[in-house]
Amino acid sequence: MKDEQLRQTGIGAVGDVPWGTHFFLFHETMEDLIDANIPYFQAGLETQELCMWVIADPLTEEEVRYSLKHSIPGFEDHFERRNIDIVRGREWYMTGDDLDLEKVTRGWKQNTDRALNSGYAGFRLSADTAWLDKRRDWKAFCEYEKEVNDSIVDAPMLALCTYPLPGSAAAEILDVARTHQFAIARRNKGWEVVETSQLKQAKAEILRLNNNLERRVIERTSQLTAANEELRRQMAERRRAEEALLTAQAELAHVTRVTAMGELAASIVHEVTQPLTGIVSNGNACLHWLANVPPNVEKARGAVERIIRDTNRASEVIHDIRTLVKKTPPHQEEVDLNDLIYRTLTLANGEMTPEQVELQTDLAADLPSVLGDRVQLQQVLLNLIMNAIEAMRTISGRRLLTIQSAMRDPKSVTVSVHDSGEGIDPQNADHLFDAFFTTKSQGMGMGLSICRTIISAHGGHLSNVANASTGATFEFTLPAHVVKSDNVDIATA
Amino acid sequence: MTPGRHTEGPTNETIFLIDDDLSVREGLAALIESINLPVRSFGSAADFLTTQPVEAGGCIVLDVNMPGMNGLDLQREMNAAGIPLPVIFLTGHGDIPMTVQALKAGAAHFLTKPVRVDELLTAIRQALEMDRKARSERAEMRKLRERLDSLAPRERQVMHLVTSGRLNKQIAHELGISERTVKLYRGQVMRKMGSDSLADLVQQAQKLGPLY
Repeated sequence: MKDEQLRQTGIGAVGDVPWGTHFFLFHETMEDLIDANIPYFQAGLETQELCMWVIADPLTEEEVRYSLKHSIPGFEDHFERRNIDIVRGREWYMTGDDLDLEKVTRGWKQNTDRALNSGYAGFRLSADTAWLDKRRDWKAFCEYEKEVNDSIVDAPMLALCTYPLPGSAAAEILDVARTHQFAIARRNKGWEVVETSQLKQAKAEILRLNNNLERRVIERTSQLTAANEELRRQMAERRRAEEALLTAQAELAHVTRVTAMGELAASIVHEVTQPLTGIVSNGNACLHWLANVPPNVEKARGAVERIIRDTNRASEVIHDIRTLVKKTPPHQEEVDLNDLIYRTLTLANGEMTPEQVELQTDLAADLPSVLGDRVQLQQVLLNLIMNAIEAMRTISGRRLLTIQSAMRDPKSVTVSVHDSGEGIDPQNADHLFDAFFTTKSQGMGMGLSICRTIISAHGGHLSNVANASTGATFEFTLPAHVVKSDNVDIATA
Repeated sequence: MTPGRHTEGPTNETIFLIDDDLSVREGLAALIESINLPVRSFGSAADFLTTQPVEAGGCIVLDVNMPGMNGLDLQREMNAAGIPLPVIFLTGHGDIPMTVQALKAGAAHFLTKPVRVDELLTAIRQALEMDRKARSERAEMRKLRERLDSLAPRERQVMHLVTSGRLNKQIAHELGISERTVKLYRGQVMRKMGSDSLADLVQQAQKLGPLY
C-alpha cells in the first residue's frame, strides 16, 4: 500500500520523494558515502521509518555507528531498539560464495512487513555494492536491480543504492542508470540530482503534454469564452432586431390602417350622418309634440328614445374609427369574430351600397372567441372586405360578397371572405402576399402582406383558398380560445 | 320596419318616405308626423311600388343610395308608370352628375344629409303645393277632355274651326252647311263645353292642345 505522504530524503538536492523511490549515487570516497547517508537515515529515524544500511568494505560497522552516533541525536537508543540495522553487504547478498538475490528480495519483503506490522511508517534502506564481483555477477545483479526498480513502486519503501565510482566502467554506469529512477552525484561539494534520460524524457514529455494541455485548455477556454460572448451578442442583437421588427410591423399596420380609413372616409361620414339625421329629425319632432296643447308626451318619449338609440349608433362608429386610427400597442383580449364582422361591415357599408354590392353572411352560432388584438383583426377583416368590393367594381354581373365564419375543427375558427369578381390572375396568385405587390392603380401593396403578418402573429394562417372565374376567396384560421367550462363566453353578435 | 303612420288628412295628401336606413326613416317620419302631415314610410323602392300610388296626392321623400333599386332607378320607374308625385331627393354624398340627372328627370328638390329640418319641411310644403296645383290642373284637364269627348263629330269640327278664328260664314262654306246650322252647332259646343264666351272656349282649346 502506498502512502500518499511524501518522505523526506534528508539530501537537500533530492528533497521529498514518494514511497517507492529507487535511486542511486556514485561515490568517490568513503566521506561522500557517509556524508549522503547520515542525513538520509536521520530523516528516516525522525519520521518513524524502519532503517537498514547495507555496508561494504572498506567501511566497517564500527566506523558507521561512530559516524551516525555523532551526527544523529539519540542514535544509540534507535540502534538499541533496532530502528536501524547495519549489515554487511557480503552477508546480506550472498549465501556462501554465491550471490543469492532471492534471499535479498525476501529480506526486503520481510523488513517491509515488519515495518508495517510494528507501527513504522515504512522501510528505508541504503545498500552499497562495493562487495560485488562484477565480472561474475554484474548481469544478474542488473536484472535484480531492474526488478526492484519495477516492484518497489507499489511498496512503502525507499531504496538508495550506492556504487563506488572508481573502477566503474562506462557500460556499468549506464546499466546502473537504466535500472534506477534517478541518481545523485557529487558536484561542487554538494549533491546534485542527475536524471536518467528516460526519466528526463518522461518528465519532459509530461511537461510538454502538460504545457500543451494547459495551452490547449487556455486556448479552448478563450475560444469558448469568445464564442459565448459572440453568441450572447448575437442573441441580444436578435432580440433587438425582433423588437424592432415588431415595432416596425405595428407602425406599418397603423399606417395602412390610417390609409384604409382615408379610403373609407366617405363611407364613415355616411355612417355617422345617418344616425345624425335621425337624431336631428327626432329632436325637432319631439319639440313639435311638446309644443302641442296639450303636449303629446307619448310621442315625445318615443322620439327621445330613438335619439338615444341613434346617438349610441353614431358613438359606436366613431369609437371603432378612433380605435382603428389611434396608435395603440398591440394587446391581447378575447375577441368575438362574429361581432367584429358585423362592426366591420358597418364601416364598409357605405362602400357597398353605391356599388350595388349584395351582402350574404353565414356566421356560425356559438362560435368560440379567439385571443388577439381586436384592432389588428378588424384591420384584416376590413382589408379583405374592401379588396372584395374593389374586385367586383368592374364586373357587370351580380356583385355578391359572402362572409362566413365556421368551426372546421374543435381547435380553430375560420373566417372566409368571398367575392363574385373575376378572380385572381394565376400569374399573380403567388405574389399576393408579397409586400409592395399590387394590381390596383392606387394601392400601396401592403394590405395583404400586413394581414398575413397579423394573422401569423396570432398563431393563424391567411391564404387565398379558392380562385375561380366566379371570384376569389380569402380565408384565415385562428386558434380558438379555450375557456374553462364554468366560464363559457357565449358569443353575442 | 315600422308601418307608415298613415293619417288620412282632409286633403288626401300623403308623404311617402323611402329610405333603407332605420334611423333616418323613423326620424324623418316622426318629424313629418309632428307637423300633422300624413306620412307612410318604406324601407325600399320595391316596397313603395307595390302600393300602386298612381292616384295618390302628396310627395315622395326618397333616399338616393339604397341597395337594390336606388332612388334614380325609382324615379325612372315612376316616370314610366305615370306616377306624377313630386320627388324630394336625399343624398349622403351628393355628387353633381347625380344631382343633374335627378333634376332633369323632374326632381322637385335635392337635399344633402344631414338634412336641415326647416329646409326639408319647406321642400315638403313646396312639393305639396306643386302637387296640389298639378292635381287641380290634371282634374281640369280631365273635365275638359270629358266635355270634348261628349261632342258629336260635327260639333268637334265646328269647335275646331271656331277656335281657329273662322267666321260662321266661312265655316258654313267649308263644311257645306248653312250658316244657321253652324250657329246651332256652335251653341251646342258652348253649352257642352260649359263656356260662356268665345274667349273662354279658345282658352279651353289651347289647354287641350294637340289632344284634339
